[in-house]
Amino acid sequence: MNTDNIAPLKHIANHRISGKVLPALAMATSLCLPLSLHAEDQSYQSLRDWIENSRPDAELTPGQHLTINDRGQKLEALIPHTAWKYYFFDNMDMEIGVTRNYPAPDHWGKNMAVDYKLDEDATLVGFTGGGFPFSEIKADDPVAGQKVIWNMLWRPGTNDFDMPMVTWLRGESGKLDRIMEYTNTSATYARGDHSLVPGYEEVKSKRVMEFRSPRDMAGAKDMSITYVDHRRENSGWLYMPAQRKPRRTLASERTGELMGMDMIREDNNGFGGKVYENTWEYLGKRKILATINVESNPEFGGDSLWVPHKTRWEVRDTHVVLIKPKSEDHPYSARVVFVDAETYWTHWMFAFDKKDDQLFRMNQHFLKYSEDYDKEPPAQAPFIKQDYSKSVGHSVFLHLGQTDINAKKPHATMTHCFTNKKEFTAARAKQFYSLRNMISGRR
Amino acid sequence: MFMCRKKIAKILIISSTTFASMLSWGIVNVGEDLELEGFVKAYNIMKNGASFFHDGELTHQRNTAQLEGKYYFLKDGQMFNRFASGPIDEATFTFLGRAVYDSAYDIRDSYGSLHDRGKEEYKIREAFVDFSMAPFSLRLGKQQVVWGETDNFRALDVINPLDRTWHGTRESWEDIRIPLWMARGIWDVGKIGPFDETFLELILIPDDFQATKAATRYPRPWAIRGLGSQSHNANSVLIGNTLHDLNVTVTDGAPDDRKLSNMQGGFRFKGIWNEVDFSVNYYYGFSQTTGVKVKSAGLDSLGVFNVDVETVNPRINVFGVTASFSEDRYTQSVFRLESTITSGVPVAIAAGAPDRANPNGNSFDTAKQSVVMIGIDRPTWIPALNKLRTFFISTQFFWRRYLDYNNYYQGSAFYDVSPATVNGVTVPDRYVSENNNRLDQDEFVITFSASTTYGAAGLWKPLFVFAYDPRSTGSYSKIKMEYLFSKHLVFAVEQHLYWRTDGDDTGPWGLGSYLGEPGIRRNETVFTATYQF
Repeated sequence: MNTDNIAPLKHIANHRISGKVLPALAMATSLCLPLSLHAEDQSYQSLRDWIENSRPDAELTPGQHLTINDRGQKLEALIPHTAWKYYFFDNMDMEIGVTRNYPAPDHWGKNMAVDYKLDEDATLVGFTGGGFPFSEIKADDPVAGQKVIWNMLWRPGTNDFDMPMVTWLRGESGKLDRIMEYTNTSATYARGDHSLVPGYEEVKSKRVMEFRSPRDMAGAKDMSITYVDHRRENSGWLYMPAQRKPRRTLASERTGELMGMDMIREDNNGFGGKVYENTWEYLGKRKILATINVESNPEFGGDSLWVPHKTRWEVRDTHVVLIKPKSEDHPYSARVVFVDAETYWTHWMFAFDKKDDQLFRMNQHFLKYSEDYDKEPPAQAPFIKQDYSKSVGHSVFLHLGQTDINAKKPHATMTHCFTNKKEFTAARAKQFYSLRNMISGRR
Repeated sequence: MFMCRKKIAKILIISSTTFASMLSWGIVNVGEDLELEGFVKAYNIMKNGASFFHDGELTHQRNTAQLEGKYYFLKDGQMFNRFASGPIDEATFTFLGRAVYDSAYDIRDSYGSLHDRGKEEYKIREAFVDFSMAPFSLRLGKQQVVWGETDNFRALDVINPLDRTWHGTRESWEDIRIPLWMARGIWDVGKIGPFDETFLELILIPDDFQATKAATRYPRPWAIRGLGSQSHNANSVLIGNTLHDLNVTVTDGAPDDRKLSNMQGGFRFKGIWNEVDFSVNYYYGFSQTTGVKVKSAGLDSLGVFNVDVETVNPRINVFGVTASFSEDRYTQSVFRLESTITSGVPVAIAAGAPDRANPNGNSFDTAKQSVVMIGIDRPTWIPALNKLRTFFISTQFFWRRYLDYNNYYQGSAFYDVSPATVNGVTVPDRYVSENNNRLDQDEFVITFSASTTYGAAGLWKPLFVFAYDPRSTGSYSKIKMEYLFSKHLVFAVEQHLYWRTDGDDTGPWGLGSYLGEPGIRRNETVFTATYQF
């Protein structure tokens, strides 16, 4: 039981209210306020309770719009408890979509290396992509949690795109602090039985991100190389126009906030850290609502404009994984991620403060299936127009954005990604994702 | 009437830029192929007096409008969206223009003696075309090229000279480098043997030599004439107990741009070996530090001491290597290394030096110089000061050594100007100068900087910079706070302080308390407001 919730009663008791009045008040309080008190509870334990207390599946009809009036009957069973404070608001509007199957690309799983394994720390060794490393997740498997994350880290669609982005940083009541525009471009090198660029078999993927606004950041770009060997740290370089040269960056620092945004590098995709630096527990499967195939980049609503609003949600089966950092210095006591059981995209992530086990940061993701790009294309970025028809035919999910909330500040970072599938040729990838490309920039 | 029109024109330029910027922000697309960005900045420098907020003096009110643009005239093998461009994949034209008007010149009556030098600047600073034809790329035009791992000290970063006339080296070097007309070609090699991510870069500067503009160049508000008197130049020479008029004739011996033999150029081979970024560099150019050859000196029949000097920028050969390495396991730091050997560095030879030290008899020589820089960058948690974000801490140890040193080497930057005294009596309106700037064989400097961000969205950005010369004990500190008020408006306040712990050696780095003393007074408070589109 969370003792924070009975603080009002303690307060009353301290004022010497008579023994008869106290139980009456307590009963009245519990009758009138349980919902609001419970909704404010963002502790780790309350999320565990929500996950473990099975509820009958709420009956949702595709096409129906759920509002605040549907909260108790339907939504509380499908939105993780820790998020209620932000995701339930007076004029909320959630459209329910059909729960679909989303086939992976035709080639997926057909060109995989076979000689791979988990080592003693459940670190994946010898895997080179081209499919999910683990075709089945069994609840009684002691390394089920790690296997879910390995599938998440190697899922299709994680790279190979042009991704113009806009990020809004907002305080409470929607106060806008900063807007940033940038473009993320990435390519998968490790493709199972071959590398995108022959000779670069050790590389898992490469990414280049370049800022275009505000002007004090325009032209800054960074390149990051992720390796097939999970134990090898990423390589990174940062080009700052004011310095006119690249600078090597340190990849192992993953717990500091990035550029004022309400996320740390390790929060990326729900979990962007090192498997061996954590302990793992598989918490089973849970149905949740997810913005897995939104019509377009969602608008933001709620009291502070922090959460997706008037967009399409889908009931999804997810694997729930508990991740606890081994390091005493880590800011989180625990992290809980909800990973789609079919596609292995992360839908929700909740991280709890080591000091008090209350919510520290959370994120929730907006996705779109590439095969729907032709009939309902997402919005165009405000600074570039793209031909979205290039995305059709790849059968992958493309990331249309996310919301990251820091509950302790409190503050949030909302991002729209205008993602378009892009396949590099080997020659172009070699030139674009190169140190040479990092020695100069816009200026 | 003409002046009035000029002022109106300036106001129009600045206000039109401001109004245009209100409609947009960041990089602005004009059509599909042109991108524009820029800012308008008001930059106010106050010299501090003997005490803070007392005797403060406005030295600059530098108003800058900068416009940058990039035109994509060749995309996906199509030029101007019409013509096939053959093997060229992509080409862009980039320009960067800057207009500066320093209103302190119009506010301060005493600036009349500066003859408006440094008051205005209207320049296309950079203009270049980029061609990409994998695996080759070429940049042609007026540009900046930066080599090396060192921040704010020159070892390999010697391709572009610096303009130190308006605020020394205290500004971002991007803004004070003098762009040169040059060609920069790169061949992206990729993997080769044990090396990864390799490329070969060639630089060619056919006919554009410019010397670094020294902070001592007078008259400018920030110019430092040397030590001692800041209001007079030397006009006399004391020989024995007799004071003679001094007449100095200077001949410009800078290399002739138009001669093919005066080309400058170099190459860099860069790559990664065992997770270590490395580069091997060679540059053949001219020293941007100007030396002085004394062609003749002596008394004429009228008793005037005539000195005939020639300024020279000798040929230099710079050979250098760099390395950087990210050590994630034990130190969580990035280590940077840069080392160079340069021949042709101009030095002055002290008066009275024996012939062996002054073989040409012109008080001038060139020296070989080596530089070693070791730097460490580390994102560091200091929870007591910031619970959300790390501090980016960067420190450098910089060691410069004259390899063929002799005890008579002198720098030529700082002359000590003082009133002429004959037999203990000061002679009115007569000033003599003396070069006491003896060079040490080994020169050291240590730098440290720390920065982080505060506030929910990281809008407050403090920066602390510290540079220390362990030999002269001279030091420079900067404390800056920047506030990102909105997506358009950025405010900053900074304080520059010079101090020392011991002695009176000025040292070679422009550090130390002499820069904060009465007369020179370079302890400053700077207020900046930037409107960025």
